[in-house]
Amino acid sequence: MGEPRRTRNVRSALRVLASYAVLGIFSLIALFPVLQIVTISLRPADRLLSTSLEVIPKNASLANYLALFTERPFFLWLANSTFVALVVTTTGVVLASTCGYAFSRFSFAGKKIGLLGLLVTQMFPATMLLLPMYIMLVMLHLINTYMGIVIMYSATALPFCIWQMKGYYDTIPASLEEAGRIDGCNQFQAFFRIILPLAAPALVITALFSFMTAWTEYVVAAQILQDTDMWTLPLGLKSFESNMGSEWGLYGAASVIVTIPVVVLFLSLSRWLVSGLTLGSVKG
Amino acid sequence: MTPAGPPVSPGAQAPRPGSLALARLLPALLVASALLLAGCAHRAGETVRITIWHQDRIDIRVVLEKQIGRFMALHPGVKVEQLFKETEELRSGFIIAALAGQGPDIVYGPSDQVGPFETMQIILPLEGIFDSAWCASYDPLAMTWYKGHLYQVADKLGNHLTLVYNRKLVPVPPATDEEMITIGKRLTAPAGAGNGARYGLAWNYTEPFFFIPFLTGFGGWIMDGEGRPSLDTRATVDALRFIKDLRDVHRIIPNEADYEIADILFKDGNAGMIINGDWSWAGYRNAGLDIGVAPLPKIASTGLWCGTMVSPKGFSINANVTEEKKKLVIELIRYLMSEENQMESTRELYTMPTHMRVRGSEFVRNNEILRNSQIQIDHGRAMPVSPDLRAIWDAMRPSYQAVLAGTKTAEQAAHDMQELALQRIAEMNE
Amino acid sequence: MNRKSLRQKLFVAALVVPAFVVLFGVVVYPFFYNLVISFSNMSLRHIRDWKLIGLGQYIRVFTEPSQPNFYTVFVKTVIWTVVNIFFHVVIGVFLALVLNQKEIRGKAVFRAVLVLPWAVPQLIVALTWRGMFNYEYGAINLILTQWFGLPGVQWLKQPLEAFCAVIITNVWLGFPFMMVIALGALQSIPRELYEAADMDGASWHHKLRHITVPLIRPVMVPAITLGTIWTFNNLNIVWLVSNAGEPSDQTHLLVSFVYKAAFNFYRYGYGAALSIVIFFILLAFSLTFMRQSKAAENVYG
Repeated sequence: MGEPRRTRNVRSALRVLASYAVLGIFSLIALFPVLQIVTISLRPADRLLSTSLEVIPKNASLANYLALFTERPFFLWLANSTFVALVVTTTGVVLASTCGYAFSRFSFAGKKIGLLGLLVTQMFPATMLLLPMYIMLVMLHLINTYMGIVIMYSATALPFCIWQMKGYYDTIPASLEEAGRIDGCNQFQAFFRIILPLAAPALVITALFSFMTAWTEYVVAAQILQDTDMWTLPLGLKSFESNMGSEWGLYGAASVIVTIPVVVLFLSLSRWLVSGLTLGSVKG
Repeated sequence: MTPAGPPVSPGAQAPRPGSLALARLLPALLVASALLLAGCAHRAGETVRITIWHQDRIDIRVVLEKQIGRFMALHPGVKVEQLFKETEELRSGFIIAALAGQGPDIVYGPSDQVGPFETMQIILPLEGIFDSAWCASYDPLAMTWYKGHLYQVADKLGNHLTLVYNRKLVPVPPATDEEMITIGKRLTAPAGAGNGARYGLAWNYTEPFFFIPFLTGFGGWIMDGEGRPSLDTRATVDALRFIKDLRDVHRIIPNEADYEIADILFKDGNAGMIINGDWSWAGYRNAGLDIGVAPLPKIASTGLWCGTMVSPKGFSINANVTEEKKKLVIELIRYLMSEENQMESTRELYTMPTHMRVRGSEFVRNNEILRNSQIQIDHGRAMPVSPDLRAIWDAMRPSYQAVLAGTKTAEQAAHDMQELALQRIAEMNE
Repeated sequence: MNRKSLRQKLFVAALVVPAFVVLFGVVVYPFFYNLVISFSNMSLRHIRDWKLIGLGQYIRVFTEPSQPNFYTVFVKTVIWTVVNIFFHVVIGVFLALVLNQKEIRGKAVFRAVLVLPWAVPQLIVALTWRGMFNYEYGAINLILTQWFGLPGVQWLKQPLEAFCAVIITNVWLGFPFMMVIALGALQSIPRELYEAADMDGASWHHKLRHITVPLIRPVMVPAITLGTIWTFNNLNIVWLVSNAGEPSDQTHLLVSFVYKAAFNFYRYGYGAALSIVIFFILLAFSLTFMRQSKAAENVYG
């Protein structure tokens, strides 16, 4: 029958308390270095480091944030990055959800190779890809185009997203679609109306990952976008950097601002990180 | 037993046609819009576009933008664009682009770029373009010749290290290493309430480039007359020992200092002196410090001045530049190298000009910072242009840091540096 | 009905095939380019007029005397990867489990904070960590000495400590990703399974081993496999925190050699050969791992 209720409640309370403690500790660990970046953004005179541990530095000011928008084309970079990220996220979600579904539900020639191939695309060290990639981009006239960037980012993010969606679909029994078909849906409707909502958590991950790829990627963007009007945020941030003598104040302020959309996106998508509909109703 | 059916709303059984059609069209719409917007991002037009890639910090970029603006006003129908890339990326980015047949028309950077660029044949020889009469109006150091050809013409001389000191803590800069140590000892104090330990001197001493001044002070140099590494010398050993002693015997430098740590110590007033280059002066003034710039001291035991590497920063022309653009590109370079523009840059940036008339002007002669900068340049040596320089830096680093870590003697380190440099050069040139 | 299902199949194919064509197109040309020049002498002196020289570059990769040598760095890279992934997954899954409990309030706040290491731009945060590892002024040693009374650690000046420093930084950077994946994966587990187990009096570790772990596996395995591959090749953090290999060029991964060869010494043939070697190492790993974890199979059969 189990333990008496009182013991269960005490144990439950202890568990919850311990959980909060754990979450608190890890939150502090996660937060501390990030707070230092906020400090950098508030500190005058481009100081990356500090000899004191205080979070609000002496002579703190928001001058860097102001300068970011008035002296640098930060708005432009934000706009460009938002555009690229949204396109990549949308294509990522659309393509990963369908490709993953195909890999999960259908068996076809080359399926295993295809899956392995997705992995293979990630294994090559990026450094050596730069020269041939540039040659290829030149040949395809993709230099200085957003099309080029979107293609490259999708190619970078898709393998993980497809595989991940497939994995998630695998946990959803095929019997659900069969039940839907019996009730009159065709395959596509079954996919769209039944399976996809159940796979919402995986879609969240796909969306977030695609967004992050497009939002933070630097190397490919530096190769493709040579027109400063087309710069995305990572390129803009890099322009504050110098081998010696980076503009840390601006870099810090920009980093803080750049982080916010990611957190906001994650929080708003977290709504869909909820348990799928129960499967118990399907079992005989 | 019939399955209860998936728990979806009854309405979903008869899906609305509109939403499905939209769902089908969505991917196509996306691709179309991406193409469209990507197409919009293409620049069409009859204007001639000239691109310059450089690694200039922000204040130089601002001045460059002004000068480019005036050039464009003088030449309607020409658009000049500048693109900043960090030094290492500038080099590798230019190489990749040029090898692919593209790249900017002009690449502007320190002279050591010329070595690899020439070997890969991606920049044009310039002696046929800029005649010797024109070149004569500039400091000879500004003209970078390599393997018998002129490859870069520079409008600024610099990249040299200087002794920057906080006037509040160090009223009079040291003239010799012994004075420097004395001042350092006076200033060094352990951590107190509210601040970290204070040191007399802080600088990025673990980096070979920042070690060079003491190497020259003890009479050494990284290459011999034929461009071969010459690291296994008495001078190297003495210089290595000297720096180690600064930390362990005289204790005037911090235990661990990279570029950022040294920078912050100086900015916070926790270091009285720092060894840093011309790029850093403005930043220290902006931090509210009353700084002075002095030449690096003389090593008393050898009587030699600590000389640093001096590098011109100049223009090279991409070998891929088209004939039609070439004339304009050359004009642009001439314009940016001109006396008025160099005067403007010097006034606003305190960089050392290469035009002899600007060098001899009132402003340059009377400005204390520029005067001391000039003295330091005179004590220095030109940075070698050969691509082998990379190999030498790479070879120096591990042994140098091993000496500081106490795992190698200075003699062993000098020997190992030389061996490794030779090995790396061989690997690079196979 | 048959024509309709064929249309559906074609529609799905129409979406899948272009994606794959682009995917492989983007990777195939660079891969074959590198394959070809790995058999060549493409380098500073032979940048355009390179010739095929057979296995010369591969021999150099394995036998060239370098400090540290290939095998040491290979072992280091494996250790780096294993330790990182281990902590990423354990911490990530653990936090996801804790965060997933229904009694926890303020989930949004915790989620927002715990995802920060992933969300923050890497360069500045890596350099911040480097600053925290400074012997005299860094936050880590300050905490160790002032709060715990322990001696300061020479994080960045000794090889072993430097290695630990880069691992610590990367673990910090990487656990949110696994946590997010695990959070997603946990949603696929029907609550009835836990309730049924509770009614049978199962202990928490029994539930973990027999319900949670097997059921999050299909979603975690892609993340772990790809995470391993990415970590193996992740040069950024090691480079930034150790300032390009300090102390004395000891803090390196296999990819560091590729980077140095290509960027510093223009030894493109050598870099290509080493990249191909890395590629095959990772391929071997993936094949074994996939077979072991039976990733291609379904969970519910």
